[in-house]
Amino acid sequence: MAGLRLEQLTKRYGSKDVVASIDLDIEEGQFTVLVGPSGCGKTTSLRMIAGLVEPTSGRIIIGDRDVTDLEPKDRDIAMVFQNYALYPHLSVRDNISFGLRARKKDKAEIAERVAYAADLLNVEELLDRKPGELSGGQQQRVAIGRAIVREPSVFLFDEPLSNLDAKLRVEMRTELLRLQRALGTTVVYVTHDQEEAMALADELVVMNAGTIQQRGGPQEIYDHPANTFVATFIGSPAMNLVDGSVDDGTYSGGGLRLADVDAVAGPVTLGVRPEHIHPVGDLTDEEATEPFTALVDVIEPLGATAVLSLRIDDRTLRAVVDSRWLTGLAEETTSEFVFDRSRLRFFPR
Amino acid sequence: MMRTLRRILIIVAVIVVVFPYSWVVISSIKSQAALSDPSRLIFRPTLVNWEAVIDGGILGSAATSIVVGVVTVVIALLAGTLAAYSISKWRTGGDQTRFTVLLSEMMPPAVLVIPLFYLALNAGVRDTLAAVIPAHLTFVVPVVTWFMIGFFDAVPDELEEQARVDGYGRVQAFFKVVLPQVYPGLGAAAIFAFILSWNDLFYALILAGGNTRTLPVAIASFNTFRGVELGTMSAAILISVVPVVIASFFVQRRLIQGLSGGGVKG
Ligand SMILES: Nc1ncnc2c1ncn2[C@@H]1O[C@H](COP(=O)(O)OP(=O)(O)OP(=O)(O)O)[C@@H](O)[C@H]1O
Ligand SMILES: [Mg+2]
Repeated sequence: MAGLRLEQLTKRYGSKDVVASIDLDIEEGQFTVLVGPSGCGKTTSLRMIAGLVEPTSGRIIIGDRDVTDLEPKDRDIAMVFQNYALYPHLSVRDNISFGLRARKKDKAEIAERVAYAADLLNVEELLDRKPGELSGGQQQRVAIGRAIVREPSVFLFDEPLSNLDAKLRVEMRTELLRLQRALGTTVVYVTHDQEEAMALADELVVMNAGTIQQRGGPQEIYDHPANTFVATFIGSPAMNLVDGSVDDGTYSGGGLRLADVDAVAGPVTLGVRPEHIHPVGDLTDEEATEPFTALVDVIEPLGATAVLSLRIDDRTLRAVVDSRWLTGLAEETTSEFVFDRSRLRFFPR
Repeated sequence: MMRTLRRILIIVAVIVVVFPYSWVVISSIKSQAALSDPSRLIFRPTLVNWEAVIDGGILGSAATSIVVGVVTVVIALLAGTLAAYSISKWRTGGDQTRFTVLLSEMMPPAVLVIPLFYLALNAGVRDTLAAVIPAHLTFVVPVVTWFMIGFFDAVPDELEEQARVDGYGRVQAFFKVVLPQVYPGLGAAAIFAFILSWNDLFYALILAGGNTRTLPVAIASFNTFRGVELGTMSAAILISVVPVVIASFFVQRRLIQGLSGGGVKG
């Protein structure tokens, strides 16, 4: 077990910095998730940590060893790929024990560790099968088992759940988390799915265009996004953004006027999460901003809550409200709403 | 409608393939007299042709062909497999290399045979297998390379990367993980390469047509100044053709897969 540090890590393809000088310090035993849109450099970063891609510049330190110039096999890491990369010509047992055999561990120890991992992941019955005879979920477990038996310093995961169906994905997510808590190993996990990222991360690293946009606890990032990219990328439905300006403590823009806001004067983008838009009366006057009128365009009931599309002028805001308010609302009619004052975010423009 | 058409097509194809073979089989057991009248369907089978062809040393020529074939295959597999791997995974020589490897196949053998002949002469190996084998390699290695590129393309890169993370260097990862994935292709390539070498007449005749004769050269010699000895020639042809037919039968699917550059998934 060990922590991990990236120092000004850069990868350039042609003239494009796919990963642009990122610095990252990952504590020992933490579950860190790199999240960002497709093509932002997550996989490239992970593969540099693994030693499969050579950095253009920068250092990679695992524990207290600089591994930048080491072969993947000497970095003491294990990796799980999106397509699992099980060896098709080997049985599940031989797949799991592959890394141990490569490192010439003795037979008794290998058998013991394979049995332990097989038990942990519930694949005992599958040990003598070939990967081709397993379902996607089972292959996934075997791939994780193969990583676990190695007892590496760091686990690297590249979108390991994205080939599973939605239900299994959520199940495996929980299982992965339980496993990591039990083993206490440092994990670096890559995904483009912000919900999965939120659910798994001790520490969330939001990337865009090869740079780190923000890092922190998932709740902290959700509540205090550093910029509009993070604001819209994390959370679903996405945070509403309205361009406007603050003058003398009053925000105006996009058909809204909000007095006594906590923002410096100048052009700003107002950010408000859908669940922080409420029908009038849902909040006390203290909590609420001044009410505004909006046309309820579409109502999407989700059971406990409903997603509303609200129109103010030609702008659409998305709101998530408790479904008990639905009786008082109808599509194509106007209604009064307020914002939760303490939850408003202002991003300088 | 489509099915009937397909049946008719298959029947025609079968006739086209089977008829010449049956003709050769029948010819090989006809006496010289019976052969002179091809329309005669009733005749007394005889083994004289087979005896003649075997006494004539055809088995020695077959053995020569086997030696040439086996040595050619071993060298071609070593060179071709490594080249194919490098072209498939490392894009060696750029994206076009995979097609340009086949260019040498378009060169008429007549172009190469003169330089090869001089080389053999100067090296003092004319009329030996050491002259024939390099000549065969000129057309077998590119085919094996082309053949194996498709099989390597089908192996996910992650497999090799996983092996490298799991504790092997590049070379070991190749032998432990990548190579086993292409064994079926390797087997088919070996058989295909062997057949190519086995069937060659041109190089073998010019570079070693004297004392060292491969099977096709020996068969060609039945066309003597006394006329074509059809019966013995038929027997010899069968000896040369049967291994090819049997081998092709067992590897046909991999063969199609390999020849289409991995485009057809097995
Ligand atoms: N070998 C390469 N040569 C050139 N460009 C590359 C190479 N590998 C990756 N790239 C480019 O680098 C960028 C980042 O790729 P990367 O695979 O790291 O993205 P990602 O964040 O993992 O995206 P995704 O969510 O789609 O997996 C992409 O624009 C990609 O096209
Ligand atoms: Mg990726």
